[in-house]
Amino acid sequence: MKDVFTICVLDDEPIVGDRLKPELEEDGYEVEVFTDSASAIRRLDEKCFDIFITDLKMEGVDGMGFLEKVKESCKNSEVIMITGYATLESVRESFVRGAYDVIAKPFRIDEIRAAVKKARSRVRKTRG
Amino acid sequence: MKLLGRILSFVKSTFFQKKAVSASFTELFMHFQDILESNNKAMEVIADMNDKQSGQYVFDSKYMEDAVEKIEKIISQSAYSFNFITRNRYFEIYHVIETLGRQLKMELAGKLVIPSGKIVLALEEIQEIMDEAVGNKAYNLSRIMRLPKVDVPKGFVVSIGGYQKFMALNNLYEKIEKLLHDFKQGASPDQISNSIRLLILNGDIPSDLRKEILKAAEAVYPKNPEFGLYSVRSSAVGEDGALSFAGLHDSYLNVPFRELLSSYKKVLASLYNPSGLEYRVSRRLPLTDMAMAVLYQEMVPGRISGVAYTVDPASPQKQVCLLGANWGLGKSVVEGSTAVDTFRISREAPYPMVETRIGKKEWMVGPMETVPATKIRPEIGNLPCLMPGQASAIVETALIIERFFKRPLDIEWCVDADNRLKILQARPLALPRGGQARSPELNSILKNHQVLLKDQGVIAYRGVGSGPVWVFEDMHSLDHFPSGAVLVARYGIPILSKAIPRASAVITDIGSPTGHMATVAREFKIPTIVDAGSATHILKPGQEVTVDAERNTVYQGRIAELLHHQLLERHLFEVRYEFQILRRLLRRISPLTLLDPEDPMFSAKGCRTFHDVIRFIHEKSIQTLLKIARKPSDLLSRGGKRLKSDLPLNLILIDIGKGLADHGGKPGWVLPEHILSLPMKALWEGLSSEHIWDTRPMPADFKGLMSGVTRTQAATAAGQTLAGLNVAVLGKDYMNLTLRVGYHFTVVDAMMGLVPEKNNIFFRFVGGATDITRRSRRALLIVFIMEKIGFKVEGSGDLVIARVINSTREQVRNYLYLVGRLIGFVRQLDMLMTDDSTVQLYFERFMSANHLSVLNDQNPKKEKAL
Repeated sequence: MKDVFTICVLDDEPIVGDRLKPELEEDGYEVEVFTDSASAIRRLDEKCFDIFITDLKMEGVDGMGFLEKVKESCKNSEVIMITGYATLESVRESFVRGAYDVIAKPFRIDEIRAAVKKARSRVRKTRG
Repeated sequence: MKLLGRILSFVKSTFFQKKAVSASFTELFMHFQDILESNNKAMEVIADMNDKQSGQYVFDSKYMEDAVEKIEKIISQSAYSFNFITRNRYFEIYHVIETLGRQLKMELAGKLVIPSGKIVLALEEIQEIMDEAVGNKAYNLSRIMRLPKVDVPKGFVVSIGGYQKFMALNNLYEKIEKLLHDFKQGASPDQISNSIRLLILNGDIPSDLRKEILKAAEAVYPKNPEFGLYSVRSSAVGEDGALSFAGLHDSYLNVPFRELLSSYKKVLASLYNPSGLEYRVSRRLPLTDMAMAVLYQEMVPGRISGVAYTVDPASPQKQVCLLGANWGLGKSVVEGSTAVDTFRISREAPYPMVETRIGKKEWMVGPMETVPATKIRPEIGNLPCLMPGQASAIVETALIIERFFKRPLDIEWCVDADNRLKILQARPLALPRGGQARSPELNSILKNHQVLLKDQGVIAYRGVGSGPVWVFEDMHSLDHFPSGAVLVARYGIPILSKAIPRASAVITDIGSPTGHMATVAREFKIPTIVDAGSATHILKPGQEVTVDAERNTVYQGRIAELLHHQLLERHLFEVRYEFQILRRLLRRISPLTLLDPEDPMFSAKGCRTFHDVIRFIHEKSIQTLLKIARKPSDLLSRGGKRLKSDLPLNLILIDIGKGLADHGGKPGWVLPEHILSLPMKALWEGLSSEHIWDTRPMPADFKGLMSGVTRTQAATAAGQTLAGLNVAVLGKDYMNLTLRVGYHFTVVDAMMGLVPEKNNIFFRFVGGATDITRRSRRALLIVFIMEKIGFKVEGSGDLVIARVINSTREQVRNYLYLVGRLIGFVRQLDMLMTDDSTVQLYFERFMSANHLSVLNDQNPKKEKAL
């Protein structure tokens, strides 16, 4: 198996995925982008990405629901939540449900890079 | 007087029933505090929005909606307090805020907001933010005509304002909307297009617009407009910009004067060409924001014409440009209907020819023709139409233009009968690939280059640029800044803006991504790193470097591979819809156009942006507060304190909260040590420092002058009780100081808190006792000194307006200290400024007398800057 880390980006605003994909690819990750949670969930059934980056507020299954699905089916993956509605409540709930990190929108590209890097070492560790 | 005042306020209060008459001084100042606070919050939001343009952030439309809502709310609150203080004198400010808010919401919804102002503009009149008004074709030409070696034929543009007037006069909006609706429901594009175009061709051009077009056309050929020939071309909004509408709209060549107006309608109509409609639908572009500007230019009878691609689309990785050329006008090359010559030329100086393919050229578009109708004689048809030197010159110019746009370009050019190269059009070259990550090969190339700086600063604008290092020394050397160099400076001061458009990258040791300079760098899309610490020490003048402001790294040497990768693969974040909307929003939010409070335009109606509103509210509320007192004793009786000091200044201090120390039961006066207000302390320190208030005996002629002045002063003082009133309104972090000393009038307004984004200094200086020439010399001296110190300065006649934004508390302290010294220094200087050389004399004297902690360290040897 190739040692390429895979990342799934889910945000209903296309600009988020469009901008993150090339940036993360530059760091050597393999990135897939989704703008609706339904298709991301379908893909999730086929494949466990190493890291998921998801928006919180979305039509249909929201970020919290998506986080739950990831935690059910991909035990060794980490989830980074990004949200423009960061309240203390939502942040706490995200962590309780197993999110690795929560980043408030708008964010600096360096921030998400750093978060992904940390999440990657965590994924590596849990896999041994 | 007092009684009259009371009666007046009683009448006013009855008239404006809601607001209390008897608002005490304290209450008024509390509201003023609210204004200060709201305005600061608003400035912080503006700075934050500006910073988002750097490309360093991922933001979405929700961010923009929130920011707009937030700023409107904050400014409305400020307006409320403002109208409390001014007793509803500025009711219309609510209307201004609402209008701006409505326009911003339209921008957020992606609707085109009509720019007001002139409809017909000469190319050189087109300004930085007018791209949506004049369309990209005209806009791009207006930008590049300022570049070295770029010669653009004379011309003018009828902005989309003309289109809108035309549509409105002929009642076409509704009719077209209905037809477009049918189109979306599935009607055939040809049929819909024909109906719309017919409507337009049958319309009337508004009479004032007709006149304006013809007048502008006459200016193109001032000697004999009747015999002039013009090119009339589409410049649609969006065309030649991020999206290419290439060839979807019509252009006309060799148009005689009498057909200029009918051609206008023909070009407008072509906005609705069937292919254009289909293109819009296929790209999911809205049909609601369609508008057409029309570009008129002098027709250049090209002897040789063609296109230049700054990258070969067939093999973009190769460092070559592609030229297509034919005899005659360029249409034959663009349309590809006849054989032409093709040249491949290296992108590296001196631009040698790499490959030549001579076409068997049989037809050309003759000077008066619109189609290739002239047969080329066979003995000429087989000759290359460009000599190697000519081809290199075209490539050199094309690359200058490419450096400006920072992406591969498709350029139309021609060579006229006198062998002059003219640039007819420049637009992005659509390349099949893009957005690829840096390859492992590129990364290993980068690893082999010495890293000079890494992660030491803040990226103010992303991108990659390369060139020789040029270290800023003094403002006059800026005129000699070599085009394409990397601008390196100790401080990110506004004066650098002069050189920024010509720089390939900018690095400063100290500075903020939200300062004036960074804003300019973003405007010109120059890769910029600020606050890099020690760039001026590490980078040596003349040293070739590559600035990677994508990854916050500066490399030794020119890395062609990185530059080429950036050119081809760079993620063009600026062309994304969200960035364009943000840019449009900021145009109505961020620029400050109301500078001078004494200007007649300084009114609520004159506010064109939210920043203007903030400035207006601030200025008018402080004016109102100071006007409440008619004479010094009014201020004293309402809690003002006289400042006791050795200086001949009758200064009254008003504390609006923690500005003065409570010094135990000494009403009416304070000593300098009781000043707690940080900005006032800093300014006072400068103002009262030694040798500044020169009391030495003056030369005889100066004495003579003085006596004259004293008389005048006495005569006028009788009529103006406030003439001698010097007032400072003080908070802990705030100061507003009004000084009338020696017949000039100085205002310093400063905020000096912990958050740099909220800090600012406004400085205004005007007047004097001498004639306007001497007063202007002194004003010029102040302009030079303040620019040198780091202010953004504007001056005209004897007026100087200077400002500083986004500075740390420490910086503001330094600035104010120097401003204090400057006020003392120039106090009576105009009398001594008998000829122009005195400007330099006193500039040097001020610079050397002051240990300029602010700028001195960057250039200890050179202080002779004039």
